[in-house]
Amino acid sequence: MSPAALLRRFGPLLGLLALCAVLGTLSDHFLTFDNLINVFRQSAVNALLSLGQLVVIITAGIDLSVGSILGLSCVLVALLLKAGVPPALAVLAALGIGGALGSVNGLLLTKLHLPHPFIPTLGMMNVARGLALVICGGFPISELPSSFRFWGAGSVGWIPAPVIVVVVFCVVFHVFLTRTTVGRDIYAIGGNPQAALLSGVPVDARLILVYALSGVTAAAGAIVLAGRMNSGFPLAGMGSELDSIAAVIIGGASFFGGVGTVGGTLVGALIMGVLRNGLNLMNVSAYWQTVVIGVVIVAAVWVDVVRKRAAEKGRAAVN
Amino acid sequence: MKPSAQLLELRGISKWFSGVRVLEGVDFEVRAAEVHALVGENGAGKSTLMNVVSGIVAADAGQMLWEGQPVRLRSPREAQDLGITFVHQELALAPQLSAAENIFLGRHPAGGGWVRWREIYDRARELLSGLGHTIDARRLVADLSLAERQLVEIARALAFRARLIIMDEPTAPLAEQDAEGLFRTIRNLRERGVSVIFISHRLKEIFQVADRVTVLRDGKRVLTTEVASASVDGLVRAMVGTELSAHVAPEAAAGVAGEEAIRVEGPVRFAVRRGEVVGFAGLAGAGRTELLEWLFGVGKQAGQIFVNGRPVKVRRPLDAIRHGMALVPDDRKAKGLVLGATLHQNIALASGRRRWFIRAARERQAAGQLLADLRIKAAGLDQRVLYLSGGNQQKAVLAKWLYAGARVFLLDEPTRGIDVRSKAEIYDLVRGLASRGAAVLLASSELDELLRLADRIVVMHRGRIAGELVRAEATEERIMQLATGGVQ
Repeated sequence: MSPAALLRRFGPLLGLLALCAVLGTLSDHFLTFDNLINVFRQSAVNALLSLGQLVVIITAGIDLSVGSILGLSCVLVALLLKAGVPPALAVLAALGIGGALGSVNGLLLTKLHLPHPFIPTLGMMNVARGLALVICGGFPISELPSSFRFWGAGSVGWIPAPVIVVVVFCVVFHVFLTRTTVGRDIYAIGGNPQAALLSGVPVDARLILVYALSGVTAAAGAIVLAGRMNSGFPLAGMGSELDSIAAVIIGGASFFGGVGTVGGTLVGALIMGVLRNGLNLMNVSAYWQTVVIGVVIVAAVWVDVVRKRAAEKGRAAVN
Repeated sequence: MKPSAQLLELRGISKWFSGVRVLEGVDFEVRAAEVHALVGENGAGKSTLMNVVSGIVAADAGQMLWEGQPVRLRSPREAQDLGITFVHQELALAPQLSAAENIFLGRHPAGGGWVRWREIYDRARELLSGLGHTIDARRLVADLSLAERQLVEIARALAFRARLIIMDEPTAPLAEQDAEGLFRTIRNLRERGVSVIFISHRLKEIFQVADRVTVLRDGKRVLTTEVASASVDGLVRAMVGTELSAHVAPEAAAGVAGEEAIRVEGPVRFAVRRGEVVGFAGLAGAGRTELLEWLFGVGKQAGQIFVNGRPVKVRRPLDAIRHGMALVPDDRKAKGLVLGATLHQNIALASGRRRWFIRAARERQAAGQLLADLRIKAAGLDQRVLYLSGGNQQKAVLAKWLYAGARVFLLDEPTRGIDVRSKAEIYDLVRGLASRGAAVLLASSELDELLRLADRIVVMHRGRIAGELVRAEATEERIMQLATGGVQ
């Protein structure tokens, strides 16, 4: 692999390691086992949302509704549990609801020929959040069964359950994107939808699937979050759509589509988690944390742009 | 100084684009109050010449005189200030503004920073009715027909006191009766002393509307004559060049055609057998691309397709692919390839859709073989196609369909913009496909290419089949006559 390709592949990872090294020297507590486990646990929800967001962004789309789908799923799963539905069934139902809401995004995009995924997902962002508030009257639904809380707060040995969930999802998404024909279709749609269509890719069906997957990961995030907080609360996931977009972009995906990996996205989510955690440890106020995250997002994409330009210049010199 | 009878004179205009000569020492004159037709095959240099006249591109050599005075245009604006307006094929109007606003776009009559709307509407009405038409100047351009939009463009030119209006194939998108209306407008312009340069592929129209006609071929002027003393045959000969007319394809591998592979019935009817290459000729906009894309499931069904004698429904490209069809589109970058993806990904894209998991090893082996067979020059299967030359990109599109096992090839301008060597290799490939039993539909604007490769040539004109020529009787003249609607 060429140096440029290596850098593209492992650039975000190098960034993450450098960040950890810096935070390790600034704070004694950062590089402790307990804290790192804590970072993983805290990053789990964003990582899950980012996986769905990644698949959407590979098609050159965007999903603004993941935070709200998380909120609605969160409330619905809590209601189901309160109604006495067995936790396993409630979890499956929540994933199904997330997938259904996501596929509505896809259907609106492809069948109503809305001009950009921004529109249907912006609509869904408001509708789902509003429904979440309507359903529970704005109040959280607390005290959930302990077997359900396992998904957010439990652990197997020293490994937190949310981390296991994230790993399973990562493996499935990685295999899906790199080893299946449908995954290849998704990259092709992002690269050139016209050429994909003329090569027999059922573009509309793939897009509907992509948004459905994003809904499923949002619901998975809801299950983890509700478990951790021991509550289904309607404002869950407020603003988390932007965190997931940030993680995907920091992880090396392109808004223009056709590019992006599960590994990069996971690293992107961890960079954001590590940054928040490290700044907390150093007693930086939440207000300043927001400022730093904003700078990191722009800087990460800028580095990518610089790298791409250098690569193109190198190529122009060769030709 | 006394105004010259010549409004516009070009002397020895030459132009190169990246080393290719597109105009060579062209002389061209337009008299005051004259309708001057400009004709030539695709690529003869008409558009470039008109771009020089309208200040869009600068000539590399030669001189331009306006009313006898030498002028040097540096921008379309300068041409407009002289009184030269170009009415493009794709009209340059703002659809969400009214006809009147479009007429004065960028030069609203204004006073003290306020737009004088009453004056705009009054003057727009005057201009439009002066052209002999009644269009409500307040209507949005989006709600106007194509013919009406052209009138708005012409009114706009007059509002800028145009003395010379260039119309690039204005009748191409128009229905017959709208074209008649446009001719009346053109005659009306001439009576008011405005000159018109009229570019058209339809030779008959020239005899209806023009005073003189100039023929370009390969960037040179070959003929300027009074229309009254010209004939369709004479113009076609001048466009094609007589020395070419006797040219017979040497590689005429008279294909041993097998059973019928594909047949179409409807507004357009034809059939192609296995082992046969059928050429589709026609001028720009004759409907060749639309026909091939329609066969491939893009756009509305406009007839019945039969594959291997059985009627099939093709609602989307995937259906066409399942019936063994392959489309090599006219624009490989926009429609043929995922430029940012690798050769491997592009070659495999059209196949294997019936299974879930990618068989990477098998794919790489087959794709590697195709790379060698088609002599695709690349660093390897993982090279992104973005960085391949045009010829190699086109071969990659073909490789995709060979890998998918296509039996009916729809080739739309397969050699457009590629180097001579790749062109020859693609010719070999096309003949090779046919000799191995594939059916090939080859749409091309290069008559030479059709005469070399095709067993039969279907000539299209305005979306219809104007005629069909078997290889023995096909000549450039016969094709051009049919393509220009000159003869039945």
